[in-house]
Amino acid sequence: MIDEMQEIMEDFLVEAFEMIEQLDQDLVELESNPDDLDLLNKIFRVAHTIKGSSSFLNLDVLTKLTHHMEDVLNKARKGELKITPDIMDVVLESVDMMKALLENIRDTGSDVTDDININPVVAKLDAISNGKPIESATENSSPKEEKAEEVEVANEEKDELTEEDYANMSPEEIEAEIERLILKRQEEDKARREAKKKKEETPSNNENNSNAAESKNESSPTPAPAKAEPKVEKKETKKSVPAKKVSTVEQTIRVDVHRLDNLMNLIGELVLSKNRLIKIYNDVEERYEGEHFLDELNQVVSSISIVTTDLQIAVMKTRMLQIGKVFNKFPRVVRDLSRELGKKVNLIIKGEETELDKSIIEEIGDPLMHMIRNSVDHGIESPEERLKVGKPEVGTVELKAYNEGNQIVIEIADDGKGMDPDVLKQKALEKGIISEKEADMMSDKEAFMLIFKAGFSTAAKVTNVSGRGVGMDVVKTNVEKLNGIIEVDSTPGKGSVFKIKIPLTLAIIQALLVAAQEELFAVPLANVIETVRITLEDISTVEGKSVLKLRDEVLPLVNMSDIFKIEKILGVNQYLYVVVLGVGASKVGLIVDGLIGQEEIVIKSLGEYLKGINGIAGATIRGDGRVTLIVDVAALMKLAKETHSHTIITDSIETKKKKEKPEDYVILIVDDSNTDRKIMKKSIEPLGFTIKEASNGEEALQILKNDSNIDAALVDIEMPKMDGYTLAQEIRKYNRFKNLPLIAVTSRTTKSDRVRGVEVGMNEYITKPYTPDYLANVLKRNLKLS
Amino acid sequence: MSNQLQSIVKQQQEQTQDNSSNTTDENIIQLVGFIVGSEEFAVPILSIQEIIKPIEWTKVPFTPDFVLGVFNLRGNVLPLIDLRKKFNAPNAEFDDDARFIVIKVGDDLAGFVIDRLTEALRIEENSILPPPDTSRDAIIEGVARKDDRIITILKIKSLLKTEGE
Repeated sequence: MIDEMQEIMEDFLVEAFEMIEQLDQDLVELESNPDDLDLLNKIFRVAHTIKGSSSFLNLDVLTKLTHHMEDVLNKARKGELKITPDIMDVVLESVDMMKALLENIRDTGSDVTDDININPVVAKLDAISNGKPIESATENSSPKEEKAEEVEVANEEKDELTEEDYANMSPEEIEAEIERLILKRQEEDKARREAKKKKEETPSNNENNSNAAESKNESSPTPAPAKAEPKVEKKETKKSVPAKKVSTVEQTIRVDVHRLDNLMNLIGELVLSKNRLIKIYNDVEERYEGEHFLDELNQVVSSISIVTTDLQIAVMKTRMLQIGKVFNKFPRVVRDLSRELGKKVNLIIKGEETELDKSIIEEIGDPLMHMIRNSVDHGIESPEERLKVGKPEVGTVELKAYNEGNQIVIEIADDGKGMDPDVLKQKALEKGIISEKEADMMSDKEAFMLIFKAGFSTAAKVTNVSGRGVGMDVVKTNVEKLNGIIEVDSTPGKGSVFKIKIPLTLAIIQALLVAAQEELFAVPLANVIETVRITLEDISTVEGKSVLKLRDEVLPLVNMSDIFKIEKILGVNQYLYVVVLGVGASKVGLIVDGLIGQEEIVIKSLGEYLKGINGIAGATIRGDGRVTLIVDVAALMKLAKETHSHTIITDSIETKKKKEKPEDYVILIVDDSNTDRKIMKKSIEPLGFTIKEASNGEEALQILKNDSNIDAALVDIEMPKMDGYTLAQEIRKYNRFKNLPLIAVTSRTTKSDRVRGVEVGMNEYITKPYTPDYLANVLKRNLKLS
Repeated sequence: MSNQLQSIVKQQQEQTQDNSSNTTDENIIQLVGFIVGSEEFAVPILSIQEIIKPIEWTKVPFTPDFVLGVFNLRGNVLPLIDLRKKFNAPNAEFDDDARFIVIKVGDDLAGFVIDRLTEALRIEENSILPPPDTSRDAIIEGVARKDDRIITILKIKSLLKTEGE
């Protein structure tokens, strides 16, 4: 039974917090539209509902507070009171106190605490409802009055509840009580429906009232009881709105987030298995081309992959919340802030219905709050300044969210004073954040990004709003933690636009797989701007650093192997692959040794032991079961700036000695027949080549792995253990053997054999018997020997 | 790999039967012994999740050289630590006896490379000597004697700690 009470309490808290969130927003809106009766009624209802529930739960303090709030709001909605900013301050203060009380209830289970004293606020609320000035209220509230009020509240409670101590009730009694409440609710519903009907019949009713509210003088309040009848009517009219809401609530269930997380993990595993299945299918397809069962397999694989993808999206959607949940806080923030700073700011919110993953919603609140505070504090000018430059007195901050591809964009735009890139550069120079040279090279966009540097604050004086040392740099770090990027644009005198782009979900991302030497890395596709193939000649050197001129941009170039200190075993190819990475306004060209392709990957953490490795965001398991590391692009770009030097390309070239004569080359002969090996050896050894021998594919692969000096291989096809085709396939899996000449020497002569040879990566296909000269010539041609 | 475990379990059962006649179980610790380099080490048997044959792993940059990288254990990414490198043992090649011991401490899992397994040990708690002063004290729980062998018992918690490395 205690559990039941607990459950009711929990439900109450969840409901109350949701309502209060809405309340904040509504109140601020009310301030700008003080005559909006709909709003007033909505707000009144919230206070009323919380009062009702809290008295049911014996939360006396909360009941008392909400009771007095209700009084004020009741007057306001009956037009006996005009909501001025001063009154609003008090109402908002009491909402805050309500929040504090609710938090206390959540934490301790009781609303009795020494930390929160509601009496001053209650006194102010009283003063308002009695039409006295607020300032005098605090002194006026003598203890005597307080006591009287308490009694009054207690009486009221008694009216509503015959039994106060629910904890001591028997289950039967509780049931009876609940029955009674339900009955009461049903009656209310009935009344409500009737009222709704009535409302439909007299649609002009509300308007009349709001007109009345306008005309009524603020200073002529009438006691509440006198107007009791219209109060009841209006209250019920308005209750029709939540009635609609109830029906939608019934279609949802609350689910523990852990369950969803668990589900998401399972789906992650499924995605990995799906990738693996696709890979296996591709392997099988190559081998058994044209066989009938392939069709069936293909159908199964594709249907599984479609279902998996749908499932993934479906689960992702269950985790999605509307960003409005975060945005709702901001009208209040902006309102308080602008009053505090003596500015006039209008906050426009758009796209609250845009959905984002729950974990992102939780993380994005603080950075957004900071940026909005920043816009109001630093962006918007004071009313006088604004009038002076011919802008409307009221500044505008626009907060909007929308989808863009796989990303969500949150835009914060203000029409304030904007930022001057030169001023920013100057500031950064003074503070020693950048050097003179860097300042000269900087584009405007890069200059705007300076505000995100640690220790940078343009506010001349430190206000308690922003510029407390922890600033925009924290915002940037937080956004980057979500794999997001920030873009800034600004025109001096016109305003600034901040754009935060974040991925829809954190768990599964699209990535570009690249190779640094033999090692694979996954780069989040969101940060990849493009990939280009360049030649060594395209690289130019500026101040000892390698750069790439790409169209009209100059990109710093860094070799991925240098960043991660990977030993260079590959020779330098004629072509280099460059992945252009972008975070915010800065870009870097990352030289990689191979582009593998785009893949959907599931992010897994590296665990406690290996956490926090610079440049690595996590790991994923690929279709073949291997672990691939995921690059943390923001950290990588930082590392890139440190490693950036001119030696990056030439390092490995010099270690490879020049080869000109046959004597410089080592040839591997792979054949299971001793005789055949001898014939091949005889054909080419006289030219001066060094010969190594292997009697099957496995042996050959071992030799190649252990000895990287092999320059070419002559390979028989039919061999025990591992045949020539498989050998070639295995060899081509290694980046360093990508260009190793492989020459098939075989007695298989059909066309399909030749095609197969080409498919697995053979460079030449020689059929036995052959003349020694022919073999030698083919070999020389492949080694580019004349 | 399961054979290996089975034989250990078997040995243990035999030992249990041997010992049950003369000692009480209360202060007996059960350990799994293994060789790294030329020394014999042991860890508590309950801390071991499983023992597997070496599989492929992925290197991780910016880690000490005894951290070989990470490997995939049925969908989980675990760090792989080469105890031979950590203890400066000369032999760093993988032969047929080499194993990954997957050890669990709290929620953390990690694989450790060892040269070969020896046996499951039952050692009386009060026969364990404190670690010698000069040694890698932080990761050694104590030293035990078994027949003519000296076995170093490793401190599980310290094995999975990153500090000081």
